[in-house]
Amino acid sequence: MLKVEHVTKYYGDVLAVDDLSFEVKKGEIFGLLGVNGAGKTTTFRMITGLLDKNSGTITLDGKPIDYSITDKIGFLTEERSLLTKLTVKEQVIYYGILKGMKEKDILEKLDILLKRLHIEEYKERKIKELSKGNQQKVQFITAIINEPTLLILDEPFSGLDPINVELFMDVIRELKEKGTSIIFSSHRMEHVEMFCEKLVVLVRGKSVLAGNLKQIKKDYRKKNIHVEAEKLDITKLKQVKGVLDVIQNENEVIVKIASEENVNDVFDCVKTCKGVTKFVVEDATLNEIFLEKVGVMYENKM
Amino acid sequence: MKTKCKFLIKQSLKKKMSTKWFKIANLLVLILLIGILNIDRIISYFGGDFEEITKIYVIDEAESYPLFENNFNTLKDSLEDLGNYELENSSKTIEELKEDVKDTDDIILTIRLSDTEYLTADVASFNPIGMMTEQLLQTSLNTIKSYYVLEKTGISESEIASLTSNVSLNKEVTNPDVEENAEGKDLVSSGLILILIVPFFILITMLTQMIGAEINDEKSTRSMEIIISNVSPKMHFASKIIASTCFVLVQAFILVVDVAIAFGIRLLCTKTFAISEDTSMAIMDALNMVKNTGILNLLLKGLPIMLILFLFSFVLYAIVAGVLASMTTNIEDYQQLQTPLMILLLVGYYVAIMASTFDGAIFIKILSYIPMLSFLIAPVIFLLGQTTILELGLSTLICIVFTFIIFHYGLRIYKVGILNYSSQDLWKKIFKSVKEK
Repeated sequence: MLKVEHVTKYYGDVLAVDDLSFEVKKGEIFGLLGVNGAGKTTTFRMITGLLDKNSGTITLDGKPIDYSITDKIGFLTEERSLLTKLTVKEQVIYYGILKGMKEKDILEKLDILLKRLHIEEYKERKIKELSKGNQQKVQFITAIINEPTLLILDEPFSGLDPINVELFMDVIRELKEKGTSIIFSSHRMEHVEMFCEKLVVLVRGKSVLAGNLKQIKKDYRKKNIHVEAEKLDITKLKQVKGVLDVIQNENEVIVKIASEENVNDVFDCVKTCKGVTKFVVEDATLNEIFLEKVGVMYENKM
Repeated sequence: MKTKCKFLIKQSLKKKMSTKWFKIANLLVLILLIGILNIDRIISYFGGDFEEITKIYVIDEAESYPLFENNFNTLKDSLEDLGNYELENSSKTIEELKEDVKDTDDIILTIRLSDTEYLTADVASFNPIGMMTEQLLQTSLNTIKSYYVLEKTGISESEIASLTSNVSLNKEVTNPDVEENAEGKDLVSSGLILILIVPFFILITMLTQMIGAEINDEKSTRSMEIIISNVSPKMHFASKIIASTCFVLVQAFILVVDVAIAFGIRLLCTKTFAISEDTSMAIMDALNMVKNTGILNLLLKGLPIMLILFLFSFVLYAIVAGVLASMTTNIEDYQQLQTPLMILLLVGYYVAIMASTFDGAIFIKILSYIPMLSFLIAPVIFLLGQTTILELGLSTLICIVFTFIIFHYGLRIYKVGILNYSSQDLWKKIFKSVKEK
């Protein structure tokens, strides 16, 4: 289990991470979200031991993180961290041995993973000759070759098409099933929603939202109502008490309401229309929650 | 952890030495060395006017031809490789001879008596005569002029010979530490030493290039983050230093083998083609000359200390180059930052060259104690006999201590530098990192 407690990091006079605390249990996928410069990479660097923190503690399975346990950590960085002049095989051996593995074991696992990610034919090819997506696959392999206890994924789906995103997701879910603690960072909120059970949203190094994703969504008062009807009076809908906005899409209308208490008022309005085929109340998306939380913090800071 | 360090060293060496460029470069060096050491053969092989004889027609109006011929030939024989000349006492007129030497390098020399200068001479040729030829003629004529003058005064032939011969200087040096014929040895020593230090200059350049390119490659691809998350910066830094030092040692060994091959080929050619005894004699003479300088004795005496000094200097340059590379984010920036290091190396090289001219200069002696310069200067002035083995040892000791200090503080910069991708406030960060433990 990874435990981050009251961690603070300054770069000179600039506060990069401010009293951050969270924990990631075994077999849990944790989301670390934030806009660019929020402190995500700094947090990852502190977890992997690349950066020293100014205060607080970070432990993995109860032990402070140092070079005696970094072999148990897998790290996929946002940028491609690959030695492009090496072949795929050489690169994976390179990082695998630095993770304390034996060459024989690396090669065995490499064959399995190359096959799993459909790039077995590139084993002897130089990394610089591969496409962006395939380079990302190689990077992913280097991060998981040691079957890590803690896996840090910083924008793992960058450069991947939807089919390969799904492929990655399957492998990540398998690792979760095996008990790997996974920290996941992405700007794509739908990916985070699909994966993470718990999350932290950082704004300028400070946690502005933290907890269980389901609970966060539940606690968030604003809801969305998806409506399909033949002749829906949008102007009338906008005048209903508690309606914040009405978005007209191709096949449906999304009514954004201030709280669950306003559902009945909207329903009363909609039922007067003809041909109502859909009326579904849903929690707000993570993207909406993120935008509001981060937006408010930005406004407050300005 | 040791396995990881060994692996990093192995990887660095593999990256550098398993490339085709490494093999090609060393093959070219071998070819060049063979060429340099056999340059006389190559020149001879392609042919030229090496055997061409310059004919000197002498119009003797002073009846001094036998004396001139004798002097000229003696002088020519004493100076090897001066050229091929043939003298002829001509009875033709100057106009006829001018026709004869047309379109040739032949020379007409007219020697005549003079009331005021005892002897004068005219030289006519179709093409300008060379400096060496002119000197040869001048010296021979001067000698016969002396004979002519002395003969006129009634001095006997044996007395003239005694008068014109060189005064023999019987030299005695009272310092028991100075070997015999020390003056003549200096020239040979300085030449030999310069040949010995050039490879070190080249090797240091290769070393700094290697370490800089590697660190920048790892930084620019961001693979440094993955590497440093698994091995400590100290281990990473040490692996780079060890790998680059090993690389230059291997390269030095290859150079020695290359020179041996080139010499081998030269000797083989001598035997196979039986080119001449002269060549073998020349080699033996050169070896004897080196032996006589006393350098070999000094070299054997100081070699263990010199090797330690060279080794630590390699390490020192690797540390400095590694630190500089960690501060930069691309190879272009590194090359610029590396320039002062190269200038420092050049300073050491030129001071080493000047050491033989400025025998006993205090400034040079002081520089020989300064690390990064000492490996070029201290061995040179030791081999020239300007310092003792103790002073060489002191230079080495200072270099060792300095290397450890630089590693200690350099590592602090390295730790910060390798994960820094911005040039903003770079020097502020660097100075701060030096202060932080």
